[in-house]
Amino acid sequence: MTDKLKALEDLLPDLEKFPAPVKDNFNKAIPEMPDALSAEQTSDWLKRGIAIAGQTVRSWEAAAHFFQVSPNVISSMPYSYFVRWMECGASLCEESPTLAAAYFEASPATMSKLRSRHIESWANLGDGLYKGTWKSSTLACRFFAESSTLLESLSFQQLENFANFLDVLSHRSYDLSSECLTLGEQIFPLVGDDKDAFLSLATTLVDTGWREVKSFFEAGAKALPKIHPEERMRFLKLAESLVNNGGTNIPGTMLEISQSLSLLDEDNHHIVLGFAEALLDEEPLAMPEFIKSAPIVLEKLTILQLGRWYQEGVNTLSQNKDGGLAFFKIESSHSEAVIETLSSGIEFDRIKPVMEMYCRALAGAEIKLSPTDALVEKNIGWVSNESPTTEGSTVFVPTLVDRYGTKEENYAWFKVVSTHQVAHLEFGSFIFEFERQSGLFENLRFDLETRRIETLKEKQNKESAVGDDVTDSDFSGDELNDAHTGLERAWLTDMQRFFDLFEDRTLSLDIFTVVEDGRLDARIKNEYPGIKSSYTQVQSDSHENRPDIKELPAREAMVEFMVRLSLQQYEGVAAPSKYNKEASQIAQIARRVLVPEATVEDTAEATLRIYAIISAIPNEEIPPDDWNDMDFEDEDEEEYVDPEDMENLLQQIGMGMEMELRPEGEEEYESTQEVEYRGDFKPELAQLMTELRMQQQDEMSQGQGEPLTQEQLQELLENSAELDLQATEGEIQESSGMFADNIMKEAGANMPQSPDDSQGPFVHVDEDGGELEPAEPETFVYDEWDFRAEDYKPRWCVVRQKMMQEGDPAYFGATLNEYSTLVTRIRRQFEMMVPEMFRKERKLIDGEDIDIDDVIENMVDIKTGSSPDEKFYWRRNKVQRDVAVAFLLDTSASTAEAIDEGKNKQDDWDAPDDPVEYMVWLRTRRGEQMRRSYKRIIDMEKESMVLLINALEAIGDTYGIYGFSGYGRENVEFYTVKDLHESFSDKVKRRIDRIAPLHATRMGPAIRHAAYKLDNIDARTKILFLISDGRPQDRGYSREGVEKEYAVHDTKKALDEAKRQGINSFCLTVDKNGHDYLKTMTSDMGYEILDDINDLPERLLVLYRRLTM
Amino acid sequence: MTTQSLYKSFIIEEYQLDEEPYYVPIGDEVELFEAAYKQKLPLIFKGPTGCGKTRFVEYMSYKLGAELTKVTKNDADDSGVNLPLVTIACHEDLTGSDLVGRYLLEGDQTVWLDGPLTRAVKAGGICYLDEVVEARKDTTVLIHPLTDHRRILPIEKRGELLQAADGFLLVLSYNPGYQSALKDLKHSTRQRFVSIEFDYPPMDLEAQIVEHEAGVDKDTAYQLAKLGEKVRNLKEHGLGEGASTRLLIYAGQLIAQGIAPRRACQVSVNWAITDDHSLQQSITEIISSIFE
Repeated sequence: MTDKLKALEDLLPDLEKFPAPVKDNFNKAIPEMPDALSAEQTSDWLKRGIAIAGQTVRSWEAAAHFFQVSPNVISSMPYSYFVRWMECGASLCEESPTLAAAYFEASPATMSKLRSRHIESWANLGDGLYKGTWKSSTLACRFFAESSTLLESLSFQQLENFANFLDVLSHRSYDLSSECLTLGEQIFPLVGDDKDAFLSLATTLVDTGWREVKSFFEAGAKALPKIHPEERMRFLKLAESLVNNGGTNIPGTMLEISQSLSLLDEDNHHIVLGFAEALLDEEPLAMPEFIKSAPIVLEKLTILQLGRWYQEGVNTLSQNKDGGLAFFKIESSHSEAVIETLSSGIEFDRIKPVMEMYCRALAGAEIKLSPTDALVEKNIGWVSNESPTTEGSTVFVPTLVDRYGTKEENYAWFKVVSTHQVAHLEFGSFIFEFERQSGLFENLRFDLETRRIETLKEKQNKESAVGDDVTDSDFSGDELNDAHTGLERAWLTDMQRFFDLFEDRTLSLDIFTVVEDGRLDARIKNEYPGIKSSYTQVQSDSHENRPDIKELPAREAMVEFMVRLSLQQYEGVAAPSKYNKEASQIAQIARRVLVPEATVEDTAEATLRIYAIISAIPNEEIPPDDWNDMDFEDEDEEEYVDPEDMENLLQQIGMGMEMELRPEGEEEYESTQEVEYRGDFKPELAQLMTELRMQQQDEMSQGQGEPLTQEQLQELLENSAELDLQATEGEIQESSGMFADNIMKEAGANMPQSPDDSQGPFVHVDEDGGELEPAEPETFVYDEWDFRAEDYKPRWCVVRQKMMQEGDPAYFGATLNEYSTLVTRIRRQFEMMVPEMFRKERKLIDGEDIDIDDVIENMVDIKTGSSPDEKFYWRRNKVQRDVAVAFLLDTSASTAEAIDEGKNKQDDWDAPDDPVEYMVWLRTRRGEQMRRSYKRIIDMEKESMVLLINALEAIGDTYGIYGFSGYGRENVEFYTVKDLHESFSDKVKRRIDRIAPLHATRMGPAIRHAAYKLDNIDARTKILFLISDGRPQDRGYSREGVEKEYAVHDTKKALDEAKRQGINSFCLTVDKNGHDYLKTMTSDMGYEILDDINDLPERLLVLYRRLTM
Repeated sequence: MTTQSLYKSFIIEEYQLDEEPYYVPIGDEVELFEAAYKQKLPLIFKGPTGCGKTRFVEYMSYKLGAELTKVTKNDADDSGVNLPLVTIACHEDLTGSDLVGRYLLEGDQTVWLDGPLTRAVKAGGICYLDEVVEARKDTTVLIHPLTDHRRILPIEKRGELLQAADGFLLVLSYNPGYQSALKDLKHSTRQRFVSIEFDYPPMDLEAQIVEHEAGVDKDTAYQLAKLGEKVRNLKEHGLGEGASTRLLIYAGQLIAQGIAPRRACQVSVNWAITDDHSLQQSITEIISSIFE
């Protein structure tokens, strides 16, 4: 060592010339250099270091790093390579000392992963990235720094590729390149074996759209983990071919696709990707859509069936590209139909109309049918997303039933579920009255209640006695009040009053549920023999999902035992041996209510008795050997008599002792799992809802009645076992408060809305979204025609039907005065059209044929000598007037145009697409109207309507007047000014006053809705009269936001549909440029373009007359 | 006479019923009818189609006739007269002379032929005008003098005023929901009548009726009645009229002939009352729940 040092001594002074760190680092390094190093080698090393340091002013830093890392580097490679390493560093330093410093600094970490022979190439890679600029230097330095991390997941070859990629990208943007470098670290470990593919894709992307590269990396980082490792390569290949096929927004697509794939079972990735690859040959753009739709389709279909759906889509694609795309987006009816045909599941939406009617028929009440999630959203105490249930006015059923292999079985299950829920209403689960007598049992409720109250009073007295002693009397006062209300009028519903009898509410509710469900099942099977077989099937299937009774503690086991019995299992029902006697008692009681005449009060009495028995059983584990199977006769003939010890048991309950008497350390009682087809039964809540609704109605009609307070409601909710309020004290308060709020709202929500609400706020739904549902009353959903796909977009538009608000009736009279001359003339013309009601006109001088009766009369007259009547011909009256007409007024914003000035019309097409901007745009336009003193198009429309009503009232045609507007497909507003069947009244006059310009013009759905209305009217001639001021247009009423033809075609389709329904349409427009699109839109139907809007009132009437003559 | 008459004049006895019609009273309609008959008050039956209006008037005519006959037999041992029932189904071409009568030509002569109303007036029977609003307006005016204290029928052609015989009673039937508003009865007409409202019988009675009329067993009859009740719950949901008792009986008759119950109900009830596809499906579901 000393030799070496000596050899170096000559050189040391050179070191002194540089800043201290250089020498310090050298001194630190020298002891660690390997001993094997010869003196020459060591001095060579030092010389090289000094050379580096001396290159430029700043290169001493590189030298410092050089000395620092040398011991580490030399230990990982032979000396020859170490020399190479030093040479590379030196030459880098010539380029840039900073670069060299980074190179040296990164070396120890990198060398452990880099083959020694690659050192030079590695240095060259960094060098290649350095272009002499500050930014490139940063990039190159970072490259060196990150190399070791990158090499953990990349081979050197791949690192080279990556460096090349960075280089290419850096020509575009250094920042981007640098960010990709960082992202690369995260992403490469995820890419697995497919880094080459990923890199080549990335490189391709630089050429086609370098701006997307970063998001591509980000997307990759998010997307790849979601995909089955073995399929990642294929995924990337797909993405690449999309790039090659000129796809746009690749990163976004990748993310969406991967998102969809992540929703799939990993085993299915292989198959779905297989289809996707095949689809690339057909139509690359359809591929992402296919993958995006796959999870939705697979919810309903098996993976095998998916193939058939796919094949059908490919067929469609080969015929019509747009149609195929819509197919794979599931935005075409055909696509839905195929899914529906293939799937075995039953979808709520499909069968809702039929089942709703079915339920209404059974219950004889206005029952609604909704999916269960709708109830959960209301947040009024129901939490299960799956369980069917009812809250007294609506039956909630699962959105999709896919339990069995065939549609028939699923449908049968669905029907059984609905029938069971309706049975709650049909056979009166919620009309429980505490005072009403039970027919099958001796009524013990009243007695029990008296006892309970006495016990509570005693307790209360004791407490108040204690309270007197304690100085803090406020506290005891509160207690007293609470206890007091507990006795007198704590119950809001009879159901609550009943459950108040029991200390263990959960247990009593569970028993009540099983007994009541059993009663209903028996009743249904008795009343509806047709459904009996599927019912029995569902019952026996339910057995399979029950928990193992032998694993349950005794009390729960007894409840489970009841469930089994109620599911018609009469043989081999397991029960704890030591409770066999109790079990047969329970069975006897429970089966009493299986007769058709049993009522809910019988259930209550049965509950009481069973509760008495079960609550006395300690909830303890029963050893596996202490069980035996019990058999019961199918028919139970014996007359039921309460067992003797029943009295004692009831005594206990009356004292409220049942909880206290339970042994220490028994297990907490937990409700048994609900029977799936019976769902969630909440009698207390349901009765409460019903009562609240009635209360609301009473208030509406009489304005009196004792309203329920929030506190009362909250108290009920806190006591009820039906809510899952497992939380600390404060939170219970909070959540029950929230429930109470929602329940109040829900009960009140059925009130008719006040008229001011009619122009509600917009609900914004994205155009790309899926189908819409008519969630609220008075909303209707219609398909929309996609002319490119040549298919309907199913359930695409929501029409909201609203009454026009009422304004000043004076407007009507004023308008008539203004047009008084025209009015009289028109009225006369119209009166001449008064319909002849009789088909045959008799007693005419000439006609189609002679009337035999009249001829005979004529002969008789001659015979009897009186003067004969010559009029004995009859003729069929050809014009039988039986006309129904719907006038559809365009009340879009553009009708606010002034008409007098005739200045250049603002083009509606300039309407901004962004909702916020649109509203601003609209508001400014409306603001302009405020100062108007001129007439607008809408005013002419209103005046025309006044004259029209006046004329139509003269001839007695059925007519309706509707305004339409809307914004977006989820907000097609359809205002009724006068409904078809409504008779003319002051209300109509008032509504006309309020016709005002609103939003956009989505004609298709409005026409469809008007046609629907006409279709429900019985008339020989039906006419749809459309009055508009321009072409149909709306946000999203176009293809990809550009093709405005879309709207025209949809409107045309809607008119065609109307024609098929036997409705004649006529379009009257004031848009002078209307010829071009009206020709397409109305094809062979009539249309007219008014040159002068001022002619509208008169022209409209003339046209109407001509149309209906 | 060599030439045979081309027309046939029914003798009033042909209108009499030989057998007692089957009828199950639902409310107090029998008492009401009897009282009205005694006081010679004309009646309007209101109610949905197929609920038993026509059957009721038949039943009453037989019942009252039987009582009358007993009385006359006691007075004089002559062949007793039952109470004739003349039923006229009204249609929109029904004219006044269709009711009153007309002259016919027979060879060179004119012969007067009494219309059904005239016959009933002369014979003192019950004249039942079914679905009266369908008839032409001039017929309703004819009815007016018959329905008040005058009880006369003017026969214009012959210049006669016919005084109604003692037993004569005018009964109209009228289905308010079913006609268009244009065809409503005029108030001046309506206010001359005592109205009895009919509705479908309650389920147990209906079951009894179906059982008797269709000849099916008790259970089937009960199920049919239940079907009726359930389907009627759907009125106002696109069903103009609920399933009538008559339809239920038809279904029962088909079942009695060996048609499977579900099928029988489908053809006789479901497809008879609606053309709406989804409503039909709903009713199919009801049928398949009720019948095996």
